[in-house]
Amino acid sequence: MVSADKSDILQGTLDLMVLKTLDVMGPLHGYGIARRIEQISQEALQINQGTIYASLVRLMQKRWISGAWGTSDNNRKAKFYSITKAGRKQLNAEAENWQRISAVIGRVLRLADRG
Amino acid sequence: MFPWIRAAFNRTRTWLSPRAVDQDFANELDAHLDMLTDENIRRGMPPEEARRAARIKLGGVTQLKETNHELRGLPFIETFLQDARYASRMLRKNPGFTAVAVLTLALGIGANTAIFSVVYAVLLKPLPYANPNQLVSAFQANTQNGVPETGTSYPNFEEWRAQNHVFSELATIDFHQLTLTGRGEPSEVNTCVVTPEHFAVLDVKPLQGRVFFPEDGKRGAPPVVIVSENLWRGTLGANPNILGSSIILDKRPFTVVGIMPAAFRSPFINNKPEVWIPLVQDPLFGSWMARRGGHWLAVFGRLKPGVSIAQAQAEMDAISERLASEFPAENKGWTVRLVPMQKEIVGDVRTALLVLLGAVGLVLLIACANIANLLLTRATSRSKEIAVRTALGAGRSRIIRQLLSETSVLGLLGGVIGIALAYWGVRALSSLLPDNLPRMNAIRVDNFVLIFALALSAIASVAFGMVPALFASKSDIQSTLREGGGRSGESGNRRRARSFLAAAEIALAMVLLVAAGLLLRSFSKLTSVSPGFDAQHIVKAEVSLPQFQYSKPQQWTAFSDELLAHLQAQPGLQDSAIGIPVPITNGYINLGFEIVGVPPASQSDSRLANYVSVSPDYFRVMGIPLLSGRLFNQQDIASAPSVTLISKALAERYFPNQDPIGKRLNFGFPPNGDVDREIVGIIGDVRDMSLGDAPGPMMYVPFAQAPFWGANLVVKSNLSTSAVTAAIRQEVRKIDKDLPVTDVGKLPDFLDASVSQQRFRTFLLGLFAAMALILAATGIFGVISYSVSCRTNEIGIRVALGASRATILRMILRETLLLTFAGLLIGIPCALIAAHLIGHMLFGVSANDPVTLAAVAFTLTGVATLAGFIPARRAMQVDPMVALRHE
Repeated sequence: MVSADKSDILQGTLDLMVLKTLDVMGPLHGYGIARRIEQISQEALQINQGTIYASLVRLMQKRWISGAWGTSDNNRKAKFYSITKAGRKQLNAEAENWQRISAVIGRVLRLADRG
Repeated sequence: MFPWIRAAFNRTRTWLSPRAVDQDFANELDAHLDMLTDENIRRGMPPEEARRAARIKLGGVTQLKETNHELRGLPFIETFLQDARYASRMLRKNPGFTAVAVLTLALGIGANTAIFSVVYAVLLKPLPYANPNQLVSAFQANTQNGVPETGTSYPNFEEWRAQNHVFSELATIDFHQLTLTGRGEPSEVNTCVVTPEHFAVLDVKPLQGRVFFPEDGKRGAPPVVIVSENLWRGTLGANPNILGSSIILDKRPFTVVGIMPAAFRSPFINNKPEVWIPLVQDPLFGSWMARRGGHWLAVFGRLKPGVSIAQAQAEMDAISERLASEFPAENKGWTVRLVPMQKEIVGDVRTALLVLLGAVGLVLLIACANIANLLLTRATSRSKEIAVRTALGAGRSRIIRQLLSETSVLGLLGGVIGIALAYWGVRALSSLLPDNLPRMNAIRVDNFVLIFALALSAIASVAFGMVPALFASKSDIQSTLREGGGRSGESGNRRRARSFLAAAEIALAMVLLVAAGLLLRSFSKLTSVSPGFDAQHIVKAEVSLPQFQYSKPQQWTAFSDELLAHLQAQPGLQDSAIGIPVPITNGYINLGFEIVGVPPASQSDSRLANYVSVSPDYFRVMGIPLLSGRLFNQQDIASAPSVTLISKALAERYFPNQDPIGKRLNFGFPPNGDVDREIVGIIGDVRDMSLGDAPGPMMYVPFAQAPFWGANLVVKSNLSTSAVTAAIRQEVRKIDKDLPVTDVGKLPDFLDASVSQQRFRTFLLGLFAAMALILAATGIFGVISYSVSCRTNEIGIRVALGASRATILRMILRETLLLTFAGLLIGIPCALIAAHLIGHMLFGVSANDPVTLAAVAFTLTGVATLAGFIPARRAMQVDPMVALRHE
């Protein structure tokens, strides 16, 4: 079983990626978001596409994204999500935070290597 | 809105309308699948396979829906309700288990709640006055003479009041009874004798009228009285025009100026007060007001806002130093001690109550251990069910949550029944509680106590639920599932846990039994100690003479002479005498004395003895032996030379290796403190303060030479108590029809009442120890019988291989005894620690008393063996054929 804290980090990461995708791409349905994340990560991140939906529910509950039914390019009915103003604010804050943490972790790891 | 509030709001909304949301999500997933399939087809897959690949890529649809449902809804509440429903079904299915567990818990919670309600009311509840933290008591103390705290004199009080800057107000209170006449039968009313500021310090308002003005406390002011609502509604007939009218107290009219509400109580006074009068109007204490010596006035006050008790203490230290140098005769060596009023009122009851609370807490702990054991047993037989749940995907936390909701249902049931028991228990306790327990009227199961009970049952259910839940959730699914049908074996860990719980129960029970045993032994020593007099067949009664009518000592002597003469003339009442105070029942009068011609060796050499004024027959009636010299006789009258009798203790301490007879002591009851008296005899020692206090020095004077304004009668008679009482009342009425006879009863009953606090705590601790013993025995019984049923197979093989029944019995009993000895081993040091904690409550028994320890160990071993014997007998009767076919 995946321990709770580890999956928490993963959840947070996925939420952040979803937010960023919606920020860059504009309104998108669940399938589109999943595809986009796979493409961006150059297929390095092979997710079960279904996990996207947990992330979407969490983001919806926090009102960082909104959702509405619409029609896709090939004329299918799908639920489209778009980032809200609060979501954009959160994204900026989170992204900054993320960069700071990854910089710190990078430094620590380099330090450990040298030691 | 904060995000989490919104989230919670959304979740709740979803929870309330789940279907539509679930459908919406299903549609969304369908669309996703379609798009994935399209994509796959575009890549050249055949439609069938494209669909399959899409399903794999998306992940389990049902699982996704589950997760989604959980995320959107309130899964915690949903699963809890589900678990609770399931739990109550399980509990209904095992009524025996449920009944035992719930009843055990209910007893534990009920007893704890009942005791806590007493502790809360007596120790914790703030005093029923405004800003009670500002209220303090002030005492005089003399460390050199070993006086920790005593009252002061009125002149000293006036100095304190005038000189301090730390109290917003200081007041005094004393208590006694006055005779109310002119309203039906003459009766004694509980009288609070106060300085006018008493009400201002407590910050209370009267129901009607006014409180005292400072002028009411001045000498020569017209006598005024404040009556209680109860007296007004009762004896005074709720007369609406009572204010301004007068009532007769001790034959003297007092104008009623106010009525205090029924709920109001003056501090330090356990009796329901009925009237309040200014100190200056009091026939007894009022006459003492001019004297600076003496320590009879209880002082209390309210600190100014922002003044700490330490600051106040510093100021009072300075004042008492000034007084000591200004009035060395009365104040040298005396300091002032301030104590928070709440602490003072509670007094030494505190430890006794805390010990009881601790004891009852231990009982609950044992109860929890017992239930934990039961649950462990059950969890073992349910391990299959749990293994199946785990195999079906329930996580460990989910299993723990389920088992804990079961125990919390148990806990809740136990708690509710426990609270019901507590209501009953508090009522039972109230009738058991000693009359002199402070703040008794505040004891009830109120909201705070209820919250305590609920919190307790919640904590208890987690406590006894956690261990089995952890064990159950950790069990190895594979091995459990593999073990075919029938009973699954028990893991060693789990068995150790159960044995440990059972041993711990024995240890805890040992602690309680030793404590109870020690208290029981000291109580029996206390009640069988010889007080130095023979209380059998003695009836005691009090008559007090209103000072405004009987103002001269000659009148007091005349009254008592006449009363005694009348009584002694009656058949069967020849053995009548007067003694003030009667030992143990009336308190004691401690006075200083001088040995004429022998100045004290040093300033701090205190010469103090308890003072008793008696009629000549007193010693014969009370059975106090004369050791040398002579008793008082009819010639020792006021005009004859003053004489005294001293006790053996006084003779030994102050006249070592001398014959005190013929020597002279100088002492007397105020205001006649300076009288030389010749020692004419030595008499036996008497425990006059309490049964538990060793006899101290005492000095007796003839009533005729040192009369009081009243009489404590002691009558030794073979007649019935009611006949004696009737005779006393009749004779008193013949002399003065307005004199009430009070505090009538058999002397042994009064002695009994004097140890009511000890009896109370001994009884309760004994009760708790008995509960602990029964619970521990049940615990042992449970563990051993479960072990026997697990080992049926093994026992069958042993018997088949030729083991005799005696061998099997020995084997099972050995297991029992091992558990018991393990428990005793842990229990003995714990019990010794507990015994030392209650050491100061013991009388005539050492905290390390080997007899008690041995008796308790023996009892526990015996009871445990008995508890183990029942399952052992079952083991003995195991039929090898049946046992071998068992699985």
